Amino acid sequence: MNPAMVASNGVFFVASKIVEPLAEASFDGTNGLEPRLAVSWTGSDDGLSVTFKLRDGVKWHDGKPFTSADVAFSAIEIWKPLQNLGRIVFKDLEAVETPDNLTAVFRFSRPTPFQLVRNALPALTSVVPRHIYEGTDIAANPANTAPVGTGPFRFGEHKPGEYYKLVRNEDYWHKDQPKLDEILYRVLPDRAAAANAIEADEIQLAAFSAVPLADLERISKIEGIAVVTTGYEALTYQLIVEINHRRKELADLKVRRAIAHAIDRDYVVRTIFLGHATASTGPVPRNDTQFYTGDVPSYPYDVAKANALLDEAGYRRDTNGRRFTLKLLPAPYFNETRQFGDYLRQALAEIGIDAQLVSNDAAAHQKAVYTDHEFDLAIAPPVFRGDPAISTTILARSGTPDGVPFSNQGGYVNSELDNLIDRAAVTLDEQARIALYQEFQRKVVDDLPFINVVEWNFITVSRWSVKNVSNNPRWAVSNWADTAIEP
Amino acid sequence: MTGVKRFLSTGETRAGLALLLPLLAFALLAPAMFPGDPMAIVGEPLLRPFQNSAFPLGTDRLGRDVLAGLAHGARTSLLVGLAAALSALCVGAVIGTIAGFGGRLLDETLMRLTEAFQTVPAFLLALAFVSVIGPSLSSVVLAIALGAWPAPARVARAEVLSIREKDYVAAARVVGKRPAQIAFIEILPNALPPVLALSSVIVASAILIEAALSFLGLGDPNRVTWGGMIAEGRTVLRSASYLSIIPGVALVITVLAIYLLGEGAAKARLAKRSYV
Repeated sequence: MNPAMVASNGVFFVASKIVEPLAEASFDGTNGLEPRLAVSWTGSDDGLSVTFKLRDGVKWHDGKPFTSADVAFSAIEIWKPLQNLGRIVFKDLEAVETPDNLTAVFRFSRPTPFQLVRNALPALTSVVPRHIYEGTDIAANPANTAPVGTGPFRFGEHKPGEYYKLVRNEDYWHKDQPKLDEILYRVLPDRAAAANAIEADEIQLAAFSAVPLADLERISKIEGIAVVTTGYEALTYQLIVEINHRRKELADLKVRRAIAHAIDRDYVVRTIFLGHATASTGPVPRNDTQFYTGDVPSYPYDVAKANALLDEAGYRRDTNGRRFTLKLLPAPYFNETRQFGDYLRQALAEIGIDAQLVSNDAAAHQKAVYTDHEFDLAIAPPVFRGDPAISTTILARSGTPDGVPFSNQGGYVNSELDNLIDRAAVTLDEQARIALYQEFQRKVVDDLPFINVVEWNFITVSRWSVKNVSNNPRWAVSNWADTAIEP
Repeated sequence: MTGVKRFLSTGETRAGLALLLPLLAFALLAPAMFPGDPMAIVGEPLLRPFQNSAFPLGTDRLGRDVLAGLAHGARTSLLVGLAAALSALCVGAVIGTIAGFGGRLLDETLMRLTEAFQTVPAFLLALAFVSVIGPSLSSVVLAIALGAWPAPARVARAEVLSIREKDYVAAARVVGKRPAQIAFIEILPNALPPVLALSSVIVASAILIEAALSFLGLGDPNRVTWGGMIAEGRTVLRSASYLSIIPGVALVITVLAIYLLGEGAAKARLAKRSYV
């Protein structure tokens, strides 16, 4: 529950209302950002420093004033050494200078693209209070379970397996916010129960597609309930097929291309996601406004071509019509990843590849794929986080230590691609950086270290009484300061 | 009247057979009636039953034939049920015989062991076992047998305890047969009938446990199972309830049929006693 340490949507969903970042994603702000704890940010031309002007008059929930020292402490002691994504973006962060209480200057030892820092602000820069964390074991601090922040809501109570309760922060820096007195997050282990609860007005909002896709059409017709498909633009999930390149068959590009041709993306969108997804063209989702390019090779659904490619690669069908057998591990996190596993098995059967499904629980799946490499194909739902440097490139870059989830654990090594990724990470000019990432997309789709299938955003179901739903691209994990209930 | 005749003459047996025989035929003929992979995507997704004559029971969310799934699922259910019951009965009978015939210390040890297994609910045991070993057909069978053997073991032990005092056992001893021979050749066959009477209960509960495991996603993912079908249907319960109801009804009928057969067998045994 410490968003400064664990930048993940599961943590943000609750904690983002308590602990705020320096800036939040926005539909119409400059560079897609709007101020939170910082009011302005400027990068130097040499990429070695970024200056933040902080908001005046902000108080922590325990009454102490918020200052630049808190930002410096969070950055140096938590984001850089401890945070899953901060380790990448802030790896060259040397020091944070605090010339006064409302200015923080980040000094980097090597050029760090300002564009990357900017894109990282909403998710990676949750500021926690120095006076509570300093001198303690940060990972074991009690504030990790009962967070103290500057946000519009204070932590109220947590009953494991039942609910989280947040209460209104009367001293919030924005004078007429928050609009809600209390937020109660109820734990509903059965997804079908979420639909019933919102129908009965027991809950007013179900985010992150808590209501199953199959129920959406029915529930959208009910008076008083809205199905909202926006508000997750900065949280796009990608459905990918991870490939273990240690298998000699899969190390063959022709086989990988054959698999890409065997997948009917339209069927996946239509049947598994019931239309609530988009076919992918490559490793950057279509709804990304900065880096996406559609100018990449494509693999249309074509079983005959896939079969021809496999024949060409020398894997002929035996008397049973099979070419070879693979182990397929669908990630168990979503219904859709599991169903895509069932579909992929059949799609591969069409081209003579016998895929044996292996089902695991979440922990066993992570260990099997990312630590033990006990898979041939796996299905994963990584998140695109607004910048390739902190998301999709880690699926292609070689040299990640074993055990890092959602990274390249398939033994894929392509020095040309590695080079490109490394160069883009230190390229300061924004246009040049974008060009490099477009080249990255072309190379990935051409060589297929992994196969992008579709991309999807979650869906919120809310009662009409809830106002200002989905008014920013990370709405579910933003601070909900302006969210209101009007009867 | 012979035992078989008595068994067949009870109403329970007849009703049970009337339900079970078509089901068995359905399961045995599945590969002939529905050749090819029952998990293959063959049609439009979510076709309702009786809408399309090619798929009398409709199709599921991915467009797989529900009837083919049902037939192949029957194979899995019956196979797992019978295999688990068979292994539980064998293990139980052997352990029960050893405990009953092997002397106090062995008896105490083995009975405390069965008690240890009996105190843990069979389903939890199976759940834990499959989550550790990983789901596959054989691990599911083993997992179910693991929770099912204590009951036959206790029944076998009780029978052995009474039989070992009988004259023909003493006679075997006098002739100089070895204890193992006496236990497994003289005593066990005579102790078996009451143990076998448990088989229907064990098969029925094994089928239910297998379905529950598959429902929780711990069945063999490469086979169609009724529990798995119900679990998949659950996500569309409100809009396509037939996907859960059809395999659910099949499960009820199977378990009911097997229970009825067990009742029939018990009645036949009672009738035999009353003749003596």
